[in-house]
Amino acid sequence: MKSLFKYFSSVKLAIVLLIIITAASMVGTLIPQQRSPEEYIAQYGRWANVFQQLQLTNLYKSWWFSALLFLFALNIIVCTLNRLSPKLKKAFRPRVAVETKNIEVLKIKEKLKKPMSLDSAREMLKKELSSRHFRVRETQMDNKAFLYARKRVLGWFGADIVHLGILIIIAGGIISGIGGFRWNLTFSEGRVLDVPRAEFKLKLDKFETEYYPSGGVKDWKSTLTVFENEKPVLSKIIEVNHPLSYKGFVFYQSSYGWDWRNPSVEILAKKREDSSFSRTMKLKIGEKVRLEGEDIEVSVLEFIPDFVIGEKGQIATRSLDPNNPAVFIEGWQAEEKLFSGWIFAKFPDFARIHSEKETDLTFELKDFKSSQLSIIQASKDPGANFIWAGCTILMIGLFFAFYWPTREIRVALEGLGNKVDITAGGVASKSKDTFKAEFKKITESIRRSK
Amino acid sequence: MNESTLFLITFILYIISTFFYFSFLFSKKENLAKTGYLFAFAGLIVHTIALLWRTVESGHAPFTNMYESLSFLAWSSILAYVVIEMKFKIRKAGPYFMLIVIGLMALASSPLMPKEATPLVPALQSYWLWLHVSVTLIGEAFFAFAFITSILYLVADAKEKKGTKPGLSAEKLDSVSYRCIAIGFPLFTLGGIVFGMIWAYKAWGSWWSWDPKETWSLITWFVFALYLHTRIVMGWKGRRSAYIAIIGFLAALFTYFGVNYLLTGLHSYA
Ligand code: HEM
Repeated sequence: MKSLFKYFSSVKLAIVLLIIITAASMVGTLIPQQRSPEEYIAQYGRWANVFQQLQLTNLYKSWWFSALLFLFALNIIVCTLNRLSPKLKKAFRPRVAVETKNIEVLKIKEKLKKPMSLDSAREMLKKELSSRHFRVRETQMDNKAFLYARKRVLGWFGADIVHLGILIIIAGGIISGIGGFRWNLTFSEGRVLDVPRAEFKLKLDKFETEYYPSGGVKDWKSTLTVFENEKPVLSKIIEVNHPLSYKGFVFYQSSYGWDWRNPSVEILAKKREDSSFSRTMKLKIGEKVRLEGEDIEVSVLEFIPDFVIGEKGQIATRSLDPNNPAVFIEGWQAEEKLFSGWIFAKFPDFARIHSEKETDLTFELKDFKSSQLSIIQASKDPGANFIWAGCTILMIGLFFAFYWPTREIRVALEGLGNKVDITAGGVASKSKDTFKAEFKKITESIRRSK
Repeated sequence: MNESTLFLITFILYIISTFFYFSFLFSKKENLAKTGYLFAFAGLIVHTIALLWRTVESGHAPFTNMYESLSFLAWSSILAYVVIEMKFKIRKAGPYFMLIVIGLMALASSPLMPKEATPLVPALQSYWLWLHVSVTLIGEAFFAFAFITSILYLVADAKEKKGTKPGLSAEKLDSVSYRCIAIGFPLFTLGGIVFGMIWAYKAWGSWWSWDPKETWSLITWFVFALYLHTRIVMGWKGRRSAYIAIIGFLAALFTYFGVNYLLTGLHSYA
């Protein structure tokens, strides 16, 4: 038991763990994470199976990586606590009286003789040290007096504060991992959706995409309203980097899309023989519309934003972006089908119309419109506040560890009649040069004063 | 006058500075080093104007593509150098460090780097871009200096073992490496880790997603944590410390370049 404790309190274990975690993290960036088994087989062949068995393909969430982080956290706790109690004792109940020879062995030291009484020398030293923001403790025994002056004691605890911050961050990570979840909500304008695991609903009032003059997307803006018990309670315009927070949920503008199920399309009808004939028709999917001045009705059955013909000859869409929009149209005369087929917005000459009966008409897909969808990510992350608290503590700790160096000065005074022997020594763990200079100033000032 | 002219003037000033620094190294005339420092400082001022110019012209932070961020890293390095020179008086490391700066400037001006300012994708439109990138790169500039002093340490240490006296004592180089890391580590933690998490939370809704750039920042951070612990707790100094500092900087370099070109992830637009 004791040796186990010793093992966990050792910095050697910390070093070993740091190296292993670092190496594992590297591996995780070299092997793409969380892809499909087929992708791994394509890329790694026989090794794919081994990688998956060792959970290298979902490394950061694997049990062994979690175990490493857990050991690391345990190591920090044991190691920090182990060193804390002597430090606390030194900070709150320091030994004031030490042998003169213990001061003489310090690297930074000075010996002085002053022609004055022990008491006045002591007062003078106290005044000098206090004026430099040292806190002075003292004791006296017969003809000897001891001063222990110290400042910036928090510097000793910088590392402990850093470690505490790291532990809180790890705790936040665990809490987020267990209690957090995320969900994509796909809204069209005006739609009200239930937020999963929440008591309220969310409505998208308005969705806008802003573009740069060059065509790239500048921003997406969604106006959201929170409904509680069917009553609107809060409205906010969210955009990328500016989410909406409500009751522990955060709603992010994640992406956008188009609602291709219900586009409205504009079709131009022409006649081969009669170049003056040109009619524009506006249709929705499933609607039958009479071609003006003709006894023909046209309907649109399907819209495909990015038309491709798949390997097996099936018709599919390659993406949800309108890269190659196509519609399937049918023409009817009375109850008889005249023609049917695909027409393409980008390739007007490429229409694939299959005619049942001879017809003079041609069609072009001129325009299409569909409402845009706003994709909002709803997330609940109960660990997030721990993370921010942990980060703050971590930064405060780093400040104390590096920029708040503790300084200690010990002075032994020995009175002999109207003379006093002063032995002063200083200890600083960091930025010793500046401390040396300060120490020198203090002893010089004592030397000169009367 | 435009931004690219200012950039060119800066580059020339840095080259002149490097030239003076190296002549100082060979002739040992202090005045040459002082002149080198003055040219570097003048370069810093023109560089600052160039970056401000670019910011005003493009309307966004001057580190959203590789050209901009290389130029900004060179600027941070000179800034770090001015601070280090003021605090530690280590002129003889100057020439070697200037080589890094020149290298960054040369890479930035290479035709491979598109120079034009492009509009920002929505995720980059945030003041966290400023905080995250600038603080991280300034932190890395201090790591870069520690990298140089660590290499110089290894050389000086080898010389001292052979009995010849190096220009800068190994002890001084070791101590300056540590003190640069003591400045770089808190900055890198704040910019690279903390601000990165805050921004990721605001933009993607998740403060940590093990994206390769994030992971490599963490790896870099771990290497420097290793440096600090071996040094503070186990008393490592000298050669072993120098090796860790060198590895740490290489990890930072990989986070900066390698991840963009060799690995893919959420950060790949930057
Ligand atoms: C990535 C994780 C860690 C970070 C960022 C970290 C950070 C720090 C920092 C900044 C210091 C102060 C260094 C200085 O004063 O120059 C420190 C000291 C220290 N760390 Fe850590 N630490 C980590 C993990 C650990 C672990 C796992 C252990 C467990 C054994 C540990 C043990 C110590 C000890 C013993 C000290 C010296 C404490 C003292 O000065 O009283 N650290 N750490």
